[in-house]
Amino acid sequence: MEESEQELRHAFDRLPAPASLKRKIMARRRGAAQQLSFPLFAWRGLAASIVSVSLCILAALVIYGDYQWREAEQRRKGEEARRQVLLALRITNHALDHMNKQFAANGRAHHE
Amino acid sequence: MKNRIIAFIFAAAVMAAPAPGQTAQTAPLPAPAPIEKELAARASNVDEVTLGKNMLAFASAFMKDKGKDKNDNDEASARQLIEGLEGIYVRDYEFDKEGQFTAEEVDQLRKYYETGDWSPIVRERERKTGESTDVMVKLVNGNSRGLLILDVEPKEISIVLILGPIRMDELGKLKGLDGLGSLGALGGVQHSPRGDDKH
Repeated sequence: MEESEQELRHAFDRLPAPASLKRKIMARRRGAAQQLSFPLFAWRGLAASIVSVSLCILAALVIYGDYQWREAEQRRKGEEARRQVLLALRITNHALDHMNKQFAANGRAHHE
Repeated sequence: MKNRIIAFIFAAAVMAAPAPGQTAQTAPLPAPAPIEKELAARASNVDEVTLGKNMLAFASAFMKDKGKDKNDNDEASARQLIEGLEGIYVRDYEFDKEGQFTAEEVDQLRKYYETGDWSPIVRERERKTGESTDVMVKLVNGNSRGLLILDVEPKEISIVLILGPIRMDELGKLKGLDGLGSLGALGGVQHSPRGDDKH
């Protein structure tokens, strides 16, 4: 019983800290700070890369969209021109059709 | 810097200007006859088509090639027809009632388009109704370089001006194309004028 009390008392005794403890703690803190600053730097680089890649993708999308729009616009104009050609040919046909009917009517009139 | 800008503007102007022979080869499409504005104002429906050489070439790129479908073949024939042309000028004025234009106005139109270059191949007149059809070709060294049709019906006036080499036999190939049945009729028309006045 006395033995255990003694051990306990000994354990509760205030002992001066070893001289190297402060140095060890400071060294450990510096190491921790260094460990912290490196990942922060890495994150900044990663963020910059992500932003650059995003900008490149955005630029590519804008260029592709513009190309698609121009292509669609060109197609629309082409289809309109094609429609105009066919309309012109239909009107031409209509005029000639009328001419044929006149020929036919006049031919009949001459026969009569 | 200023010199560079001047040089650039000069270079752009030189590039934009047509070559000396170019203007002589490409016959420009006519400006609308002054009377056409008045006719258009009175008409209930107006169709206007003005296509220059570049637009025709552009349009032909969007027309179908020969294929299995019959319509594709007809459109391919139309494409072949327009490929060498220098311009198409078409106006169609439809009116609600008869008598919305006079014979004098039709004469003005006829005189505007009839110039010395054109040889009449068809002149059809129906004096009772005022209906008429004029078909003229522009001949250069014996080759047809243009077709002019002025068709007048009681409620409709159509003006068709096609500039460029037209092969009449090519027109005959368009018979099957939807609504183009009568174009082939010109294939059989010779260059001798055919006049027919019915009194």
